[in-house]
Amino acid sequence: MASDEDLVGRLANGDEQALRELLRRYERPLSHFIYRHTGGRDVEDLYQETWLRVVQHAARFDRTRRFSTWLFQIAVNLCRDWRRRPPPDPVAAPDSTAPDHLQAVETRTDATRLLATLPEPQREVVLLRYYQDLTEDEVAQILDCPKGTVKSRLHNALARLAAAVRKPEH
Amino acid sequence: MDRDDRRARLTAHSAGCSECQEEPLPLDAVASLLEDVAPDLDPAALSRHTFARLQPELQRRAMMIGWQQVAIGLLLALLPLPFVLAYNAYFLRLAYDYLSALLPATFAAYLVLSYAASLLLLFAATYAAIPVLLVQRRGHKHTALA
Repeated sequence: MASDEDLVGRLANGDEQALRELLRRYERPLSHFIYRHTGGRDVEDLYQETWLRVVQHAARFDRTRRFSTWLFQIAVNLCRDWRRRPPPDPVAAPDSTAPDHLQAVETRTDATRLLATLPEPQREVVLLRYYQDLTEDEVAQILDCPKGTVKSRLHNALARLAAAVRKPEH
Repeated sequence: MDRDDRRARLTAHSAGCSECQEEPLPLDAVASLLEDVAPDLDPAALSRHTFARLQPELQRRAMMIGWQQVAIGLLLALLPLPFVLAYNAYFLRLAYDYLSALLPATFAAYLVLSYAASLLLLFAATYAAIPVLLVQRRGHKHTALA
């Protein structure tokens, strides 16, 4: 099976199959990351924009690096730019009357809201470290900061989340 | 990553974090909280839309690179051409001198010019085949990768 880095090399030559394979490998982690980062808004736009950048810059990709690190670095930068834009309209609540579904949505909304209360640097660290298969070194590389900063942000984020668990909102 | 992986990462962080050791956190509760975030998305549909959007860009790039390779191949093939032509001109001249000593000059010229015309035809066919072969080879490569 071709490595991600080999596929990027083929992508630089306009190979459609390479793009299909990379999309298949990363569609889930990348779309979930963007969803959690933006709270579910503009996910499709940001997802497409991330891959557009990958295609545009594939020829300049450093093959000694991990593709996943590069991909998430692009996504993080795009999500940060997105946050600097004026606030969009709120997301409409799903229309369902099934009690189980409602409960699931409520739980998800609570967790999403809690993550959204974290400052951006802390939220990014939590999303990259606990939802993606990335090491602390890779997270540090993606966020362009020292590993110690990643650890410290992680602790602060977990402490905030723990405080939220201890004192649930009313 | 599943729930156990996530919990293991939290534990690993806590074990290596001096701040966590001073003030232990309720890791199980935090892990449960993080576990509940399940985006309501269709990643495959996102990928289909993305592929449809990027396909023209990839086709344009593939065509551009294909023509670049053909141009480079032709240039490389043309590099030795002046030397080959000069060598053949020298050889034809020698042949004419030798033949005209043995045969009538008109007949010797006819033989040498016929041979020169055959050589020119061969060169033209060879150089015309270069771009065709390069394009074919590129096509086979893409089929093999697919």
